Amino acid sequence: MAETAIHHPPGVDPLEPRMLVPPHHDDASLNETLLDHVWAKPGKGWFLLFGIALVGLGMFLVAVTVTLARGIGVWGNNQPNGWAFDIVNFVWWVGIGHAGTLISAILLLFQQKWRTSINRFAEAMTIFAVICAGMFPILHTGRPWFAFWLLPYPSTLGAWPQFRSPLDWDVFAISTYFTVSLLFWYIGLIPDLAALRDSSKSKLQRIIYGLFSLGWRGSGRHWHNYKIGYLLLAGLSTPLVLSVHTIVSFDFATGLIPGWHATIFPPYFVAGAVFSGFAMVITLIVPARKYLKLRDVITDRHLENMNKVILATGLIVSYGYMMEHFIAWYSGNEYEIWTFYVNRARGPYAGVYWLMIACNVITPNIFWFKKCRTSIPIMWVASIVVNIGMWCERFIIIVTSLTQDFLPSSWDLYSPTWVDWCLYIGTLGLFGTLFLLFLKFVPAVAISEVKELQLELKHAAHHAAHGADTGAAGTLTHGAH
Amino acid sequence: MSAETKVLETLVLAEFATPEALVDATRQMREKGYEGMDTYSPYPLHGGSEALGLPPSRVPFIALCAGLTGTATAISFMAYMNGFDYPLNVGGRPIFSLPAYVPITFELTVLLAAFGIFFGVLGLARLPQPYHPAYEHEAFRSATTHGYWLSVPQFATLQADAIMDQLKSLGATQVTVVTGEKE
Repeated sequence: MAETAIHHPPGVDPLEPRMLVPPHHDDASLNETLLDHVWAKPGKGWFLLFGIALVGLGMFLVAVTVTLARGIGVWGNNQPNGWAFDIVNFVWWVGIGHAGTLISAILLLFQQKWRTSINRFAEAMTIFAVICAGMFPILHTGRPWFAFWLLPYPSTLGAWPQFRSPLDWDVFAISTYFTVSLLFWYIGLIPDLAALRDSSKSKLQRIIYGLFSLGWRGSGRHWHNYKIGYLLLAGLSTPLVLSVHTIVSFDFATGLIPGWHATIFPPYFVAGAVFSGFAMVITLIVPARKYLKLRDVITDRHLENMNKVILATGLIVSYGYMMEHFIAWYSGNEYEIWTFYVNRARGPYAGVYWLMIACNVITPNIFWFKKCRTSIPIMWVASIVVNIGMWCERFIIIVTSLTQDFLPSSWDLYSPTWVDWCLYIGTLGLFGTLFLLFLKFVPAVAISEVKELQLELKHAAHHAAHGADTGAAGTLTHGAH
Repeated sequence: MSAETKVLETLVLAEFATPEALVDATRQMREKGYEGMDTYSPYPLHGGSEALGLPPSRVPFIALCAGLTGTATAISFMAYMNGFDYPLNVGGRPIFSLPAYVPITFELTVLLAAFGIFFGVLGLARLPQPYHPAYEHEAFRSATTHGYWLSVPQFATLQADAIMDQLKSLGATQVTVVTGEKE
């Protein structure tokens, strides 16, 4: 193809896939680029981060040990704040997990080709985030070794769980979500694990990757079933991701506490989850693509698209806040009015409330500007701010509603103890540890999907009369294939 | 172990330069009457299933059956456990309460359907499979990274040369015969 860059002709379908992978790569070189970071020895940066993550993991183990040895009395929870940091962190982590499924499933169904470069990464994030989330309710039971009581099993006590309780719905929702995410992630990994097996240099690597790749050899009969299975799993995950956070929001919405008893909760929680999840993807992917040299497949255009999703979901979250406040006022219910207009905005936790507004309502609006959407430092800081804001939102919903409900005689303030903080920071360490191990041992980008996309794009370029467009990011060139 | 106890499977392996050449060659070989062929590529080939003449995948059917099993299981176990075996009266609300059963029913449907898909895909692809004769040829390892291969089972020794000639005339860049143990 000629070296001339021809501009996007007017009237071309804007949903058509654009060049997302530089065309100078062929299958072998893509392989090399994308597998490189698995074979390369980890650098100093990796060890430094891993050390920090291990410190966090150590804090987690200390906090868990103290909690188990002395009981959950070491937490700051009290009456009336039966739920506090544990459920705040639980909801926050589950929400972060959702972007992964959204990217892998919903964008696949909508045939958004740009997802292929980031889905592996995002799904790994989902799985680790759900593991972190699961720690909190299990520890909150106080006796995690009896956690199986939550499941229906033929107990000698002759008792069954209460299936009309939203807390039991949670057990099913989270465990199903974790299992399906893991299956989806693993089935997507199999072809890449086989590629790792077949390009490994030592016998040990070949055996280990061989075990995990189950004997995959890219047979036409394998792909035939695999393609439809992958698509179906995506189709299942799409309603699943919406249902999980809806069910998490039911934990609150079915309660009568002012500040929780709102029908807007399910969609508003789902939007918040996507909002924080995409922010977490940006937080992680910006440094990772730099150090793993993945700029060729995770382009500026990918980041810009994610920022657009953050803007859209941020606006939905803002709408959720507006509706909560409007309904509180419109209902004329004095307890609701107290919660929203006195306790949250001017009460003891007003600082957290206004931080939440600043982070979640104001920050995403910077992404109206292309300059902010495409600036790496701005989006990275903004993504961290959004994550802080979403954590504040969970805190506000849970703590302000519980500390001051109907009767002033039962009011009490909440403050987290050092164990609470160690558990929270500790799960960040747990997440970091798992994530760094993932980056070391597994390809961070779905290689087979990128190769397939590459081929499709070449075909598209071939069939287009004058070549494809130059790509919005401006980093892509034609020729040389 | 003695060679007599094993049934040997002999495959003719051919590598092609591009995915299009592989699909093309597969289709032509099938038109010539060769059966039991298989293609190998790092990603799904465009038109690969059609060239091999594969019937529609049974994965969707398995998924549907597994999903419906999940639905039926969820509703019946909740109705039995909470409604019959261990009824809990909470504020006089109905014991058999379908709306309250919706979330778990949905989750279990999805869970079993996902298991159906996962094990359906693996089962229909006959995975895990620790050994395959194609791996007797070292260069075949490129099949998962950047190579496009076709395997033609060879039933009579006399055919080997004929098959190899056919494949070469269809543009194969390298052709080889491998013999392995059949599981």
